[in-house]
Amino acid sequence: MGAKRRHWETVLLLGPAVLVLLLTFIGPLVRLFTLAFTDEMGPLATFTVLLESSVYRRVMINTFLVALLVTVVTILLAWPVAYALSKLKGLAFTVVLYGVLFPFWISVLVRTFSWMLLLERNGPVNRFLIELGVTDQPLALMFNDVGVVVGMVHILLPYMVLPLYAAMSRIDRNLLLASDGLGAGLLDTFRRVYLPLCLPGIAGGASFVFLLSLGFFITPALLGGANAITLSMLIANFVNERLAWSLAAAGSMVLLVIVLAIMAFAARLLPLDKGLVAK
Amino acid sequence: MNRLPLPLRIVGNGATSVVLAFLVMPILAVLPASFNKASYIFLPPNDYSLDWYSRFFADGEWRSAFMNSIEVALLATAIAVTLGTAAALGLRRVGPKWRAFLTGLFLAPLIVPVIVTAVALYRSALDVGLSGTILGMSLGHSLLALPFVVINVGIALRAVNDNWIRAAAGLGAGPWTIFRTITLPNITPGIVGGAIFSFITSFDEVVVAVFLAGYSNKTLPVKMWESIRLEFTPVIAVAATLMIGIAIVLFIIVQGVAKASGRATS
Repeated sequence: MGAKRRHWETVLLLGPAVLVLLLTFIGPLVRLFTLAFTDEMGPLATFTVLLESSVYRRVMINTFLVALLVTVVTILLAWPVAYALSKLKGLAFTVVLYGVLFPFWISVLVRTFSWMLLLERNGPVNRFLIELGVTDQPLALMFNDVGVVVGMVHILLPYMVLPLYAAMSRIDRNLLLASDGLGAGLLDTFRRVYLPLCLPGIAGGASFVFLLSLGFFITPALLGGANAITLSMLIANFVNERLAWSLAAAGSMVLLVIVLAIMAFAARLLPLDKGLVAK
Repeated sequence: MNRLPLPLRIVGNGATSVVLAFLVMPILAVLPASFNKASYIFLPPNDYSLDWYSRFFADGEWRSAFMNSIEVALLATAIAVTLGTAAALGLRRVGPKWRAFLTGLFLAPLIVPVIVTAVALYRSALDVGLSGTILGMSLGHSLLALPFVVINVGIALRAVNDNWIRAAAGLGAGPWTIFRTITLPNITPGIVGGAIFSFITSFDEVVVAVFLAGYSNKTLPVKMWESIRLEFTPVIAVAATLMIGIAIVLFIIVQGVAKASGRATS
């Protein structure tokens, strides 16, 4: 009787969450995806439209290029910060760590709005560049891919720093000493010992940043606008402006399949629950 | 090789400082913008005033958006904490196979791109009449918050020793007494952390809210989103400043809870 009772308790604990997820998440997703196959022109017409139109192809290519660029820039910027975190102790460590974690807490919309203020035609960044003599005309830093990349890098950078720091802090310093002692130069030690040991962190963080970039909506919509349309903006446009539910559904399926494929790859490289707890 | 040569260290520390400034400084740009006197946004403002703050609080639409945000976030937090805490307790009692499958299910809302979730919820909300309601938005946000509760409570549960529970049971305590006197006090920091994550997740969320809000129940981010695209006045900076203020307060509370419970969670 004890085992049976335990069993029922477990069901009672897990049941409500599972039920709510099925009704308000899985159900709606399945319902949406069925719409992709209900186009008047035939069950697979929506996917054909998406893949064959040169406009939509350009949107997808742009989505990928932006995601790729954001990933590369975050790796470069995350590197010195992650390295500093792996070496620092005490107060300096806390300051750097909080500097990385604090932006997590600020709304993506607020941060994107901040960048709109900074990157405006007459905004501080343009005035600074003119003052420095870099340019004599205000540059177009917004409503194009430049603005999108800057804004997205700002939001996704912490997702790259944390796994990279985790990988760096696990590296056994004795390996570096050994390499040094065996006569390898600094560059050799970096290239043949340090970098390979960082690779799991880079790969994990990069795939995470890349897949989050693919699904971004707020930042490209506000900082990119009509000149830098991404797949998520296209999906929103299908729903809001054109009421083309079957196309929106097909686009959503394409996006989700790509994200899940990257996720499957990332799951091998990244201790996921650690990355997620940091929000 | 334990220490890099001096020039490299200087370059490294310099780069770290620049990147940290890049991460933190832009967030503060909205503060001066909110104290602007002029009717347009200019950084830094030529004249400072509280005009746009009084404008914000005098405007019924902004005020009700603020209240809606609080209401939605509280409701979403209540749903996510109740379901998530129970689920985390349940996950401990199932075998590894089920645990992996269910954990995947509970984390799924984090993995599915939010635009896909938003469009799917919008469609189903239209079907069942939840579109444009506070309850619809709260349910949507509780989905996004649920993973944080499951993770936070799950981590806290690791500290609860099975032997304490066996000892209590051996001394004749029923399951409810065990939960109340042993499990609950030990996982309270996890629950509080999960609740705060949930609140801020919902309070800051735009995409799901934009699709589900309708005309009369806009949340603060939804109202901001619309204003950014239509008018772009300093009143948006006031809303942004309020959101930053609330985030900072919650951030400090979480740090305090983490410290009090002697764990180094972020």
